[in-house]
Amino acid sequence: MKKLLLSIIVLALVIIGAGCAEKTSEGKESTTVKLGVSGTDTRIWDFVAKKAEKEGINIEIVPFSDYVAPNTALAEGELDVNAFQTVAYFDVFIKEHKLDLVPIATTVLAPMGIYSEKHKDVKDIPDGAKIALPNDASNQGRALLLLQEAGLIELPEDFDANGDLNQIKKNPKNFEFIPMVPAQTPRALPDVAASLINNGVAGDAGLSPLEDAIFVESETATPYLNIIAVQAKDKENKTYKRVAELYQSEDTAKFIEDEYKGNLIPTFVPLSNIGW
Amino acid sequence: MLVNSEQIISALIETIQMVAFSLLFSTILGLPLGILLVVTRKGHLLQNLPFFTVLNGIINIFRSVPFIILLVAMIPVTRLIVGTSIGTAAAVVPLVFYCGPYIARLIENSLLEVDPGVIEAAEAMGATPGQIIFKFLIPEALSSLVLALTIATIGLVGASAMAGAVGGGGIGDLAITYGYQRFDTVTMIITVLILIVMVQGLQSLGNIAAKKIRRR
Repeated sequence: MKKLLLSIIVLALVIIGAGCAEKTSEGKESTTVKLGVSGTDTRIWDFVAKKAEKEGINIEIVPFSDYVAPNTALAEGELDVNAFQTVAYFDVFIKEHKLDLVPIATTVLAPMGIYSEKHKDVKDIPDGAKIALPNDASNQGRALLLLQEAGLIELPEDFDANGDLNQIKKNPKNFEFIPMVPAQTPRALPDVAASLINNGVAGDAGLSPLEDAIFVESETATPYLNIIAVQAKDKENKTYKRVAELYQSEDTAKFIEDEYKGNLIPTFVPLSNIGW
Repeated sequence: MLVNSEQIISALIETIQMVAFSLLFSTILGLPLGILLVVTRKGHLLQNLPFFTVLNGIINIFRSVPFIILLVAMIPVTRLIVGTSIGTAAAVVPLVFYCGPYIARLIENSLLEVDPGVIEAAEAMGATPGQIIFKFLIPEALSSLVLALTIATIGLVGASAMAGAVGGGGIGDLAITYGYQRFDTVTMIITVLILIVMVQGLQSLGNIAAKKIRRR
């Protein structure tokens, strides 16, 4: 009986020991990059991660449900890289929060759109109509700029990308603007004349900016290019740079075009184009 | 500060409206449910185990759903009742479905605290179940019921912050959209101070009322 027990213990130790050894040898071969994203759609990063895996880079995708935590987590070193935000949001965020983060690459433009169940053209939206728009700083400013581009309102010259409803200079048709959480804007469509819906939310709600929107952002909206960000000290980190390169490759661009049918536009431009 | 005093005042009015109407309708919904939860349980006045089990289950289901999910799930009901799914009035419907079952549980707790001797005495006097509930059980538990409703009201003040999700506005929404999202510390402090004052006031009011009832 004692011998049996002893042999079981020895066997167990051998198995555990073998397991440990395996893990350490794996750890030496591959580097893990913790990547913060927002929302549940990780298709592009899954694609990039698959390519990275072949080069021994293990990308661990960490999804967040808001737009604040991925940056604070990156600054605190809980994440290595994040990719969820536009450069406009990023610039204001790091300034206000005094974070030492930098962008290392641009990724996609996710055009915001004006959607309506009742009107085919923005000009048809009647006087005094209700218009739903996101209530968070970056999306609301962007929505207001889009409303201006559509000729519905007028904003001051110095309007910054994170401005709010108080800053509308002229609202000639006296629209009533109703701010709500971004995910609610598609759900409110039956109750409003139009909703400003950001790209990710529209996609989740089964709407397509190309087919369903009555007005979309033009491709030159550089403040709204999305970026990959890292801590400033990691600016020259080879692994992270390689991850960015894998993203900015032709097959990734093709994957994005096929998968999102033009609703996400892969836009790989030098950082100087976005003011960095 | 990014907001003006006008915005704060209208947000305050929105919060008061939401809390007041939600409290009214939640109580109308929760009070009978709470009483039923007590009197239909095993060994009580109107013992009815199938009814109790179903009601108990339904209340637990509503109490399990995260508020933001309930808010979205209730949209068709909200449209039916209010005619729209956005705005302050539309926020009241999900708040009622959130708070009503909560009130039912609080009331159940208060009524269960009543000394069973009181009910036995009333039964011995030949009182009908209706008389026992309204003449003995509720008056006996009244002070504790007032405190329970105070807890529910303060819970509503907190939950009403989520009404901003559907364009319902309110003080909590101002705190979230300006204080939290736009890093507007001044607005955050002012709105949170207003909420603290509201909660303190409500709790004191509830305490005073409960005390007066107990003395009588």
